[in-house]
Amino acid sequence: MDMAENDGIQLFLPETYDIVWSLIILIIVAAFFYKFFLPKFQSVFDERAAKIEGGLAKAEQAQKDAEEAKKKYQAQLSTARVEASKIRDDARAEASHIIADARSRAETEAAQITANAERSLESQQQKAMVSLKGEVGTIATSLAGKILQTQLQDPTVQSDMLDKMIADLEQSEDNK
Amino acid sequence: MVDAFAAGAVTLAESSMHMPSIDDFLPPEILFQGTPFAINRIILVRILATIILMLVLGITAARAKLVPGRWQSAVEWIVNFTKTDIVYQVMGEARGKRYVPMITTVFLTLLVFNLCGEVPGMNIAASATITLPLVFAMWCFFQYWIAGIREKGLGHFLRDELFPKGVPWPIYILLSPIQLLELLVIRPFSLTIRLFANMVSGHLILALCLSATQYFLIDVVNKVMMPFGVVTFAAGMFMYLFEVLVSCLQAYIFAILTTAYINMSYPEID
Repeated sequence: MDMAENDGIQLFLPETYDIVWSLIILIIVAAFFYKFFLPKFQSVFDERAAKIEGGLAKAEQAQKDAEEAKKKYQAQLSTARVEASKIRDDARAEASHIIADARSRAETEAAQITANAERSLESQQQKAMVSLKGEVGTIATSLAGKILQTQLQDPTVQSDMLDKMIADLEQSEDNK
Repeated sequence: MVDAFAAGAVTLAESSMHMPSIDDFLPPEILFQGTPFAINRIILVRILATIILMLVLGITAARAKLVPGRWQSAVEWIVNFTKTDIVYQVMGEARGKRYVPMITTVFLTLLVFNLCGEVPGMNIAASATITLPLVFAMWCFFQYWIAGIREKGLGHFLRDELFPKGVPWPIYILLSPIQLLELLVIRPFSLTIRLFANMVSGHLILALCLSATQYFLIDVVNKVMMPFGVVTFAAGMFMYLFEVLVSCLQAYIFAILTTAYINMSYPEID
């Protein structure tokens, strides 16, 4: 090994041209990293971050929209349900109303019919009574005349009978 | 594969075994000799690495899409790693934001430069001269001084650094010079030398293994030694992978220490 050819100390003594080239290269490399490489990558990173954030925001918006739509739909559904039940209730109420109405109408009609029947019955009864009274009166008078013809010859019987008749009439008048 | 590695590591095919030496880090100037723009092998590697880094990352950035492909995802991962796992983890997001471009530059550039040592054909880290780590360390140096002066004012910054609170005053006699040295010299030079020495030693060990493999498997006349070449080849494989790890690790360490040094200039937050 011929280490002695160069003194080791020379390794640590910078040559002018070495300093020049080191500096030139350092400046070029630094300018490259400062002015081009890192800004370029930073812009890519920023753009990517923006895109990802934008995507996230969009997704969030979409989710929000979907949730809103769902809420709206649910609200509509519930109002529809309420309406439906209301309609059903109304219908039921109306139906019972109708039934009640019909029933009451039927009842009144029935009552009227009954009342009419009663009235006509009564009037017929009265008519019958009247006609019966009349007939009974004529029959009775004729019968009485026949009986009286035989008995009126006797004056006592005659007066008795008159009294009795008057008393009967009075009694029946009182009874009325 | 051995050929490809060996061809780079062993710059000249020789009949005797080529030993890597520190001369590998002091290569002759091959272009613009004698001018301040002279280019040697390591600087050529450095320029190539810069072009490749900027081309690959530049095309990736230019074509960056909202929905990343595999390659873009990988690049984004490393960008985010630098941002969150190096800068924000050390400084927090509020004060770290300002330094993200700087630390990204430091980390990615050093990563690529360090890995050049493991690229067949380049075979030397682009950061394998004292100057390149030094330039990056000086950047860090200025940044933590600027941060300290901006955040606290020069006097307050120096008082906080040189006379740390809660230390009994006689200790300051010892502590303050050390702190000053730390602030002015130790921080930038420890950054520089840590990286540089790792690159140098890594290259030496790897090149030694591979040139030994070349020698024992191919060049040597006496084929009895061939099994030894297999061993050195296995060692070379191991060292190769190990150096990949070291390259990544050193870039990471450089970046995280830079962040930590800058953060130390800020007032403490509870």
